[in-house]
Amino acid sequence: MSLKNELRSYLKPLGESVLAILIGAFIGAVVLWLSGYDAIAAYKALIQGSFGSLGNFAETLSKSTPLILTAITFAIGARTGLFNIGAEGAVYFGAIAAVAVTQNLRNPVSGILAGLLVGALWMLPAAVLKVYRGVHEVISTIMFNWIAFYLASWLALEVYENPMNPNSTLPIPPGARLPLLVKNSTLSLGFVIALFTAVVVYILMWHTKLGYELRTSGLNSKAAEYGGINPKVAMLWSFVIGGMTAGLAGALQVMGVPPSYSISQGLANVYGYGFDGIGVSLVGRNHPLGVIFAGILFGALNAGATQMQQTGVPLEMVKVIEGIIIVAVAVPGLLDMFLKLFRRDRA
Amino acid sequence: MEERTPVLEMRDIVKVYPDGTKALKGVTIKVYEGEILGLLGENGAGKTTLMKVLFGMLKPTRGKIFLRGKEVRFKSPADAIANGIGMVHQHFTLVEVFNALENIILGMEGHGIFSKIDVENARKKLQKLMDELNFQVPLDVPVENLPVGVQQRIEILKMLYRDVDILILDEPTAVLTPIEVKELFAVLRKLKERGKTIIFISHKLNEVMEITDRVTVIRKGEVVGTVKTSEATPQLLARMMVGRDVVLRIEKPPKEPGEVIFRVEDLWVKGDRGEEAVRGLTFEVRAGEIFGIAGVEGNGQSELIEAITGLRKIEKGRVYLKGVDITGKKPRELYDLGIAHIPEDRTHMGLILEMSVMENSILGMHWRKEFSRGFLLDWGRVEAHARELVEEFEISAPGTKAPVKSLSGGNQQKLIVAREVSKRPEFIIAAQPTRGVDVASTEYIRNYLVKLRNENKAVLLVSADLDEVLQLSDRMAIMYEGQFMGIVNPEEVTEEQIGLMMGGVKGEPQK
Ligand SMILES: Nc1ncnc2c1ncn2[C@@H]1O[C@H](COP(=O)(O)OP(=O)(O)OP(=O)(O)O)[C@@H](O)[C@H]1O
Ligand SMILES: [Mg+2]
Repeated sequence: MSLKNELRSYLKPLGESVLAILIGAFIGAVVLWLSGYDAIAAYKALIQGSFGSLGNFAETLSKSTPLILTAITFAIGARTGLFNIGAEGAVYFGAIAAVAVTQNLRNPVSGILAGLLVGALWMLPAAVLKVYRGVHEVISTIMFNWIAFYLASWLALEVYENPMNPNSTLPIPPGARLPLLVKNSTLSLGFVIALFTAVVVYILMWHTKLGYELRTSGLNSKAAEYGGINPKVAMLWSFVIGGMTAGLAGALQVMGVPPSYSISQGLANVYGYGFDGIGVSLVGRNHPLGVIFAGILFGALNAGATQMQQTGVPLEMVKVIEGIIIVAVAVPGLLDMFLKLFRRDRA
Repeated sequence: MEERTPVLEMRDIVKVYPDGTKALKGVTIKVYEGEILGLLGENGAGKTTLMKVLFGMLKPTRGKIFLRGKEVRFKSPADAIANGIGMVHQHFTLVEVFNALENIILGMEGHGIFSKIDVENARKKLQKLMDELNFQVPLDVPVENLPVGVQQRIEILKMLYRDVDILILDEPTAVLTPIEVKELFAVLRKLKERGKTIIFISHKLNEVMEITDRVTVIRKGEVVGTVKTSEATPQLLARMMVGRDVVLRIEKPPKEPGEVIFRVEDLWVKGDRGEEAVRGLTFEVRAGEIFGIAGVEGNGQSELIEAITGLRKIEKGRVYLKGVDITGKKPRELYDLGIAHIPEDRTHMGLILEMSVMENSILGMHWRKEFSRGFLLDWGRVEAHARELVEEFEISAPGTKAPVKSLSGGNQQKLIVAREVSKRPEFIIAAQPTRGVDVASTEYIRNYLVKLRNENKAVLLVSADLDEVLQLSDRMAIMYEGQFMGIVNPEEVTEEQIGLMMGGVKGEPQK
């Protein structure tokens, strides 16, 4: 295989994702048009709102930060043969842990470590159930997500509630907040930490023994066992590392996002990232580096949505477009059919 | 003969895979009605590729196919089957949890989504077919519980049930015992009598000599020539395949075995269904000795190997390596103690098909210091290692970064053997080491095992290929229903004695 072919092996999934995005955008436009909106104006506003100015772009990157991290949770799971959708719960507890720990230890490092640790711990029960009892991770993580929601809501309301402001938890003390990268924006150092994490996970998965063992287990557990790898241990690691990145997402979300630097009522500012991360991971081909771009794309859609709303299009439309993109990516068979239409003479 | 129109002609077929591999460079073959055509060629010559093109699984880059003089173009295997062409693959494609009947009628349920499956009718038709051919399979047992030989019959029946006239068999005998091969050949002859045309791929020259009418030899994607089998000799065919004379002999000097390296005492192992698969085996393998185990597949050989390599629970008994008790140790510990294992199931156990040649080349030794640099895997060294394997065993692969699934079946097998011997084991367990490997490479692998023996290593050989066991072993056991029917000297035992023991008759105890 020449270098050209090697490049091609990366370009193919990239091309497929781009194609899916274009299909999603196109169908979204058709839907907008059918619903009586001005699709072109709406898209213009969407792009303007996400990339149109430094401030808007900062907003895009800020919104992408937790998505990149929760997508990594799903991606590591997928690469290990797991369908781990437990990021959602780990995000809540990562956020709570950051709030809790920084009240006394007033520095950002403690908050980040707490998020990583608690996220990992939160994943452990699902991991243990899977490995020792064979409970399917989809079932267990869905259940744990619900437990997480109520437990975290209680902690936020009762234990760490802000006596000054009943709508949120205690804020992260100023000394433990992450510095902003762009003035008057919500883009903090958290974004850089997310990028760094993606690179670390990439190196872990493709350049270390542990990553080799995780990927082997994910592709062929029988061969893994034959190769002296314990697929159960691999699964445990997969849950734990995934829990860490999701917990980190929660911590960064409270430590890096002004103005509140706290968890709002109903967990509103930490809610939903675990689920959205699944779609981001799929669009990013379950690859930590691909996930960066997919995360920024989804961040852009979310950031631009507000501006699009001003052209009269409802906010939900953005979710529709996101959904279409995910479906287009997640149905590779559909894509293969599409590709074959254009390349009949290839194998 | 050349006057007749062939029933099938593939003309100037070129196939370039998407990664740029030129698998076929203009291949023309003709097949005549009612004949058995042998297709011969080294591993990676392009046999499977050519047949997949014929069967509508691959689209040729160039070239035409004529069926009864008319040009055809198959878009899918279903299309090929509708035109009377059926194929049985090198690697089986049965649904493991389905029984034979379900597997056979799968995909033929009729066309509308709501059309009912007439199972009883199918069963009757199938029973009739089996009776006529004297080719029986149990219809109601899940396929995963059946021996490979039977699974293969199901694959063949699946095609016959679809009324194909031309049957492609890609290495059908690789997984069969000599008796099963005889039975298969009887069926093929019957099919031929009924006017069916068969394309037969095998690496075993004696089989090709026995069953085919003509042989077409392919080398590196080109046809070398076609000969009438009656005018050919194994030597001629081998020379055509490889392009030079092949020495079909193993040099095995006499050797006094040394100390006991591996010892099994009263070993009991259960099979997947809880049955006693291995029942109280005791044996030893010495340094400088090849100990062979022959027998019909499914008599506990697989369970025995899995148990002694840490992949299956040992119910009772002890296993020792150089006097150290290794009972119940994990594969990784065993490898570190100097055991290597060539598994019988290359696609499910020996390799991770989606991973590259490079990544596969370190499976089971990836933790060794030589492949890492601090925290990181040293891919540079891994690649150098993979290159060495590829060169030493002449593995034809598009490159070390290519996924293993793009290697031909024989080359996949060679990769496993190369990797395992590169572990420099004290004791190597070789299960079906040359399955699906071409003549020249088979000799290479066999000679390699002998070389290990000559270097005073211990070798446990388990093979369904009786000739292989006879040729290589210093001592051999015949396994039947989880027990040894006898441990004999391959130079003294007669074929008849072996036949009896394979059928469950205990042999005279020999030294
Ligand atoms: N999917 C694929 N992508 C790229 N190259 C491939 C692919 N499949 C096969 N090849 C290459 O095409 C060549 C021919 O392979 P093929 O499987 O047809 O060989 P074969 O004659 O059947 O060998 P064997 O006797 O080992 O089964 C080989 O060099 C192989 O590496
Ligand atoms: Mg082949």
